Order: sequence, then structure tokens, then C-alpha cells
Amino acid sequence: MPDKPENRVDRIVSDLLRGRRLKLRGGDAEEKEAITVAARLAAASHGPQRMSSAFRSRLAAALVSAPREGWLTRRSALVAGLGVAAGAVSGGLIGKTLQPAPYAQLARGGLINPEPGRWVDVGALSDFVAGQSKRVTAGAVGAFLFRHGDTMTAVSSICSHLPCELWWNADGASLDCPCHPASFNPDGTPTKQAYGLPALNQVNVRVTAAGRVEVMGT
Amino acid sequence: MSPEPGSPGEEAGAAEPAGDVLELPAASRATDIALDELELVYAYIYARVGNRADTEDLTQQVAMKAIPRLRQGAPASAIRGYLFATARSVLGAFWSTRLGLSEAELHEDLAMAVPPGPPSLEPEERAHRILAALSDNYRRVLELRFLHGYSLKEVASEMHSTVGAIKVMQLRALRAAAKVPPDA
Repeated sequence: MPDKPENRVDRIVSDLLRGRRLKLRGGDAEEKEAITVAARLAAASHGPQRMSSAFRSRLAAALVSAPREGWLTRRSALVAGLGVAAGAVSGGLIGKTLQPAPYAQLARGGLINPEPGRWVDVGALSDFVAGQSKRVTAGAVGAFLFRHGDTMTAVSSICSHLPCELWWNADGASLDCPCHPASFNPDGTPTKQAYGLPALNQVNVRVTAAGRVEVMGT
Repeated sequence: MSPEPGSPGEEAGAAEPAGDVLELPAASRATDIALDELELVYAYIYARVGNRADTEDLTQQVAMKAIPRLRQGAPASAIRGYLFATARSVLGAFWSTRLGLSEAELHEDLAMAVPPGPPSLEPEERAHRILAALSDNYRRVLELRFLHGYSLKEVASEMHSTVGAIKVMQLRALRAAAKVPPDA
């Protein structure tokens, strides 16, 4: 039975008043106005805020070690013979600092590669229809499979935002999340670019010479 | 996602750095300026998310996104404008991800303007204005809960009601508070 909105919002208010992080769940978006104003009131109740000395020190250290495009110019880097190194360092550092590593992997729709994994038979190729999707499980791995002629592709059946099981929307040809208004294309990319969600993880799938479809699972 | 703000040097028409070599003293000064400006950004973000852990994460995101693009010699005003533009972008993405909504679906209050006055005073003043615009019961329940830190049980006792009724009243009061115009 779904939690009542007054209970959900009070849980958020209680967390805010205790100084805890905002932890939101599916359905909380319906009360977005109440939640954002609660955050503002909680902030006001905590009084003026300044960085802690520990955080300021951490930030200062991060700033000092961050690449500075304006300070180390391309020309100076080339003059110093650092062109390749600067590119590698700035690219690597920016990539690492802008997003935590796990999120960066999800943004690319990382491949689910179970260890140890095994190929699990999920049916005959003829069981799958082009333009439609079918959900299968291969041990602990759930996947939606798509047929493209004699080949198959597969994406995870778990939403990349909240850990909810997606369902196939045949009308919209999309994988929809029941927990919040998000949906994904058959290739795993989010249908709404503005939504800002990572792509779904990819799942290994193959068609054997005997015409059987196998998914890498557990 | 909100578009990334442009470089502050472009906004302010700042000149290209004069030197072609890494000038550590100048870099250090710029870092100091940026840290002072980030104090304002920190207060600005805290006023909108209401907790330290999320504020620190978001402030660091702002710093990491903005600092590498800040040019040596950019005036403090340009640095501030760029940092706040980045902060708005980061906050939009934060609420969008947490609520599972596109930024277009978020209400207008999240298209936040740079605070006109001292940021440290803005949250309380704004909170009092919001509360003043509410009906007596709604104002009372939010004052007791948020400003006095009462538990639901204590609020219920104070207002001669039940915990369940206060919980519903709290939600309705927050919904009403969200409708108070920004300039109230």
C-alpha cells in the first residue's frame, strides 16, 4: 500500500530538521513544491551557514590541484612540451572530479559482466519478435531483449535512477519506470534528454548456431 | 539539464592572461578569491537544500566545474556571476535527479536569482515572509516545527490536536507556503 503523502513529507521534514541529507523516493515528486519549501524553512531554522574549516581546507586542496585552463595555457603547455601530458591530466582530472566514478560508468550504460558468469538459455530466436521486447532473467540478471533480424540486443531491466523494475510499453516502444516518470529507448538511452538520467546498463546476449538466445547471467 | 554558463572572462570581457607561464602567486590569489566567493555559493546552496552534506557535495561540484575555466585576472564580480550561474545549473540538476523530473518540470522557484542582499540574511528573512503570508494555523504549525524544533507530538499537544491531524496540516501548510509569491 503506498505511503500517504503526509507521511512521506513528514519523513523528509524530520530528516531535514535533523540535518540529514535529502533522501527522496518514487512518488515524492508529486510534493516537489512542499519538499523544496521545507528545505528552505529547514535552512532558515539552522541559521546562517558557513563552510566548516575542514570542508574549506578540502576545497582549497581540490582547487589547487585542479587544472586551470586560463593559467596553464595551451601555448605554454606546448612550449613546455607538455601538450600531451596536459591533455591527459586535464581530461583525466576533470572526468574524475566532475562526477564520481560509478556515476560516470553508468552514464555510458556500462556492461553487466557477472563474475563468475555463465551463458543462460532464454529461448529460441523465433520466440522473439522484432519491434517488441521480452523480459528474461538469467539467474540474478534481469534484461529486456530486442530482436534485430538474426541478432539480439539486451539492456538491464532495472531503472538507472531508482532500483525499480522497468516494464515494456508496447505503444510507446519504450521501457517505462513505474517509480517515477522516466522511460528509456530500446538501446537504453533515456527518452527525455533533459531528464539527465544515465543510460541503462547493457547486458551480454548472443544467438547460437542452433538458433538459441543466450544471456550472460549468473 | 541547464546549459553550462559561459566563461566569466567572456562575460566580463576580461583580457587573455598576459603570461604564457604558470604564475603560482597569481593562481594562489585567484584561488583565495574563489574560496571567498564559494562561501557565498555555499550559503546560497544551503538555503535551498537545507542540509550540510548535500551542500558540501554541490559546492564542490560548483568549484570543480567553474574553477578550471576561470581566467587569471578575471574580476571578482565576474567570478561571482559565473559561480552563481554554475550553482543554479548544479542545483537544477540536483533537484531534477532527486525528484526524478526534468528541469522544465520543476517549479519556477528553482530558477533562482542571485540574492540581492547579504546571502547570510536572505534565508531567514524569506522564511519569515513566507510564514507571515500564511493563515494562523498553518503559520503556527510550521513555526513550531521548523523554527522551534518541536516534534509532531509536541506540536499536537501545543495545538490541542492529534499527531495525524498535525501531519496533514503540516503538508497543507507547506503546500500553501510554496504558493507564497517570491516578493511577498
